[in-house]
Amino acid sequence: MKTFRIGGVHPHDSKISRNCATEVLPLPQTVYISMAQHLGAPAVPCVAVGDKVKAGQIIAEPAPRALSAYVHSSVSGTVKSIAPRKDISGNSMTHIEIAVEGDEWAEGIDLTPELVTAIPSDRAETLRKIQMGGVVGLGGATFPAHIKLNPPAGSKAECLILNGAECEPFLTSDNRIMIERSREIVVGAAIMQMVLGGCPCRIGIEENKPEAIAAMRSAVRELAYPDIEVVVLKKKYPQGGEKQLINAVMGREVGSGQLPISAGAVVQNVATSLAVYEAVQKSKPLVTNTMTITGDCLPVERQHNYLFRIGIPLSWIAEYAGGVPEGAAKIVSGGPMMGKAISNLDACTVKGTSSLLYLSAKTTKRVDSSACIRCGRCAQACPMGLEPFLLNKLTINKMLDELEANAVQDCISCGSCQFSCPAGIPLLDNINMSKGQVLGIIRARAAAARAAAEAAKANQK
Amino acid sequence: MNKLLVSPSPHIHTKASTRSLMLDVVIAMLPATVVSVLFYGWAELLLLAVSVVSCVALEYLVTKFLLRRPSTVGDLSAVVTGILLALNVPPACPWWVILIGAVFAIGVTKLTFGGIGQNLFNPAIAGRVFLLVSFPAYMTDWTVTNGFIHATDAISGPTLLGAYAEGGVEAIEGVNYLHTLFLNIGGSAGEISAIALLAGFVYLLARKVIRPHITLSIWFTVAAISLIFWLANPAKYPDPIFALLSGGVLLGSIFMATDYVTSPMSDKGGIIFGVGIGVLTVLIRYCGAYPEGVSFAILIMNSVVPLINKFCHQKKYGRK
Amino acid sequence: MTNAIVWTVAILTVLGLLLAMVLYLVASKFRVEEDPRIDEVEKVMPGANCGGCGFAGCRAFAQNCVETGNLEKNFCPVGGNATMEKVAAILGIEAVAKAPSVAVVRCNGSCANRPQTNEYDGLRSCRVKAALYSGDTGCAFGCLGCGDCVAACSFGAISMDPETGLPVVDQELCTGCGSCAAACPKKVIEIRPKGPRNMRVFVSCLNRDKGPAAKKACSAACIGCGICAKTCTHGAITVENNIAYIDPAKCKLCRECEALCPTGAIHSVNFPKPLDKEAVKARVAERNRKAREAAAAAAAEAKAAAEAVPSAAAPAPAASTTEKKEE
Repeated sequence: MKTFRIGGVHPHDSKISRNCATEVLPLPQTVYISMAQHLGAPAVPCVAVGDKVKAGQIIAEPAPRALSAYVHSSVSGTVKSIAPRKDISGNSMTHIEIAVEGDEWAEGIDLTPELVTAIPSDRAETLRKIQMGGVVGLGGATFPAHIKLNPPAGSKAECLILNGAECEPFLTSDNRIMIERSREIVVGAAIMQMVLGGCPCRIGIEENKPEAIAAMRSAVRELAYPDIEVVVLKKKYPQGGEKQLINAVMGREVGSGQLPISAGAVVQNVATSLAVYEAVQKSKPLVTNTMTITGDCLPVERQHNYLFRIGIPLSWIAEYAGGVPEGAAKIVSGGPMMGKAISNLDACTVKGTSSLLYLSAKTTKRVDSSACIRCGRCAQACPMGLEPFLLNKLTINKMLDELEANAVQDCISCGSCQFSCPAGIPLLDNINMSKGQVLGIIRARAAAARAAAEAAKANQK
Repeated sequence: MNKLLVSPSPHIHTKASTRSLMLDVVIAMLPATVVSVLFYGWAELLLLAVSVVSCVALEYLVTKFLLRRPSTVGDLSAVVTGILLALNVPPACPWWVILIGAVFAIGVTKLTFGGIGQNLFNPAIAGRVFLLVSFPAYMTDWTVTNGFIHATDAISGPTLLGAYAEGGVEAIEGVNYLHTLFLNIGGSAGEISAIALLAGFVYLLARKVIRPHITLSIWFTVAAISLIFWLANPAKYPDPIFALLSGGVLLGSIFMATDYVTSPMSDKGGIIFGVGIGVLTVLIRYCGAYPEGVSFAILIMNSVVPLINKFCHQKKYGRK
Repeated sequence: MTNAIVWTVAILTVLGLLLAMVLYLVASKFRVEEDPRIDEVEKVMPGANCGGCGFAGCRAFAQNCVETGNLEKNFCPVGGNATMEKVAAILGIEAVAKAPSVAVVRCNGSCANRPQTNEYDGLRSCRVKAALYSGDTGCAFGCLGCGDCVAACSFGAISMDPETGLPVVDQELCTGCGSCAAACPKKVIEIRPKGPRNMRVFVSCLNRDKGPAAKKACSAACIGCGICAKTCTHGAITVENNIAYIDPAKCKLCRECEALCPTGAIHSVNFPKPLDKEAVKARVAERNRKAREAAAAAAAEAKAAAEAVPSAAAPAPAASTTEKKEE
């Protein structure tokens, strides 16, 4: 069985909600749709207060001349306000508030369950549809999909990797869509294959999801698109990390500071594939996604997988699902290894929302850190082959040059080091801080070099 | 509802702690400890008690009153040092000698360097070597004390290595290796049973407390180099199996060379470290003045660890 | 025996001489020519290497002073004017005097004023905390309380008050070097002129949220109501992004704004007398009343004039009168 070569850890997978079939979440009375649901610059609202909107209608356009994406209304109703509202971290971001009236979808959107298997052949038109559908990567980074699927000139995609690893403990939404909507995911994969110029596609799924593996395999067989294969991966965190997945599936490594395409790989999450299918075959933009309500202090019968619309307050979802459970000390959006702790439950769902994870104090409260005993477990755990103990010490001593020499900028913030540290040292907290500083220095240096090169060119002329 | 916790990721943590790892080491040392107490009796029990109690007490007192910081007794590292020190001296050693050894091990080797994680040398080894140099008579007094079980056919008196150093290959002729594997009366308390030590090694590996690189590379190197000596002159040098089973090779390679703090972090570094210990051990044994070289070898290699750490890095992803 | 001693001494002497020559040659070959004034300037520096001047340390600062030969942009906030005069004397140029500065904590969100809404469980570092989220209170702009400023201070001038959870600056020890301000990810610390006899008035809040939201997060927040700006007769106060700012260059230390601030967000320090808020309020009210009367009188006059000479300009003063009344 395949897996990535360097490092990795084995937290208990805790997939308690794996058998909870996806339910459709009803609509609240009001939704608040954030303008920052993707990596890059926030979108710019293109509706006004008082406008009537339909579900699936564009309400914000990408920021000009920047990495950005379209945002659509997830409901039909009236725009009540366009104002700052706090996100899950308590930081303000412009939200469009829409009072829900009925559930009417914009024209041209195909809501029937019928599977459309014919793959379009117009590459540019398909890319445009993906862009207009506001599709972003749903594996966590929310990188606009149409850009990732359009590799720069001179680079060629040799393999499309669908990420169904779902290596984070607790999360089961990818597992559910792979079981329930496997055929749509496979069609999405075939569309992306066409867009990338007909490269092979590998669907990487960890061994702890046998139903998903079976469902995806049968869908691949049934639809019989050329060169799509399911690859079963050994359970190991962080298998779903882009660089780790490329290593596991293709046996290649992405060079430091390079994009996956430099190794000939394009990685997309299975949920993104589903979104691509809906955007291209059904003209349905990305306004829904699947999330898991789970946690170690939530009884099994109260765990759910929900198909939700964007813009619903998390507190409303929590209430609908029976309230915040007794004993929840921390609520995390995303998985327990890389997810974000929620400080503001009034924040709303966004495209990339994947879970409400209730963790008990026993599981999540940090232990007091003690002296490093130099056991080297962090270094053995690091999937990038770094030495977190060293980076931690260098950060404390503010040695930025040494940090860069020891590749702190390669850190993927997967948390394996801190997870495995027996002394409870906040390794990743420190490393993330110095990584930011070092990346800033590297960027400034690159900008200076570019400016110097341009100046030299201007002088020559 | 209480206020929600907020922290950067990760939000879960391994169950292992410094304390649990040290407890595993203590458990791994139990077989050898139990066997030595059974065969060396009250004398050994007294040594263990004095060693552990003085190590723990000293660590507590120094951290609390001298360094004025939270005591680190709870992490059990002082207990590990105490047991190891007791296993590293002859059972006939007087109790006050081991007390001095404990003071040196914890007080000088560990706490003057800043306590757990900071010490350059393994405290137990440094304690043993300190005693060996300061009290050579007591440290080579191989009188077999009265045990709870009497081993009638045991070799009493000098250790195998001592006998070899005195009388050459003839003196150790006819030693039954199988017997030595199970019971080897004479020598330091912890060297009594190779099987008990190996059981501890297997436990440590199974619990993933240590990785096998250091231990195996020591074994391999000791065997390989003594094989060369043996092949060159079988009349003068003993065979490799003898070299592995005699003296403190097993005890040192399993419990002391693998000490986290004083061994290299990377696997590659661990192999260099192990090979260094193996080479030095055999050289000291065959070419040096002391019959046993493991402690000195580990101590010498301890001092090179920072250098090894500086030059041995693991392969980084996406970099040459 | 004596022979051996003689030989030993001779060999060692020759060896010593040889090595001395080698050392001399190497030293003269690799000698770095440096302006001797750099050493002189460095000697008069405080030697804290705090980086408050913007250079890596005192030597780097000295080097830059000598190389540029210009003290306009080079100022050592720690040594202050006295040191800079010495530097100027060494370089034979004019010193550029600057008002002494001090670090001012512009957040009054103590535990009592700013209720905690969640519990931070990460590394105690403001930088880490700020990168993660808005903080453990409802205010996304205030002090995070992890003490990065304390760690950054080379002079031991900042300490955390355990009761309020806010940093306290010891103005005797503070040199105004700015290390703390640079270390604060929320930019809560401002380097302000010390002011005459150390007296200064400042807005102790940075909350840019709208009034009700700010007030909900912290009872001592600046709600951007603008009363202070309207009251100030010196034009020292501006309100931008729902937050008031007092320009230290224009402030005349009358403390009227402090008395009128509805939330107590404006602070003053080192004044000999406590502020009698009621008296100031009465004084300001009286002044406002007079101003209104004067305005009304002026308006009435203008109206009368307008009625006397009907023209297109007439409605304008009338409109301004109604505006005043609404206030």
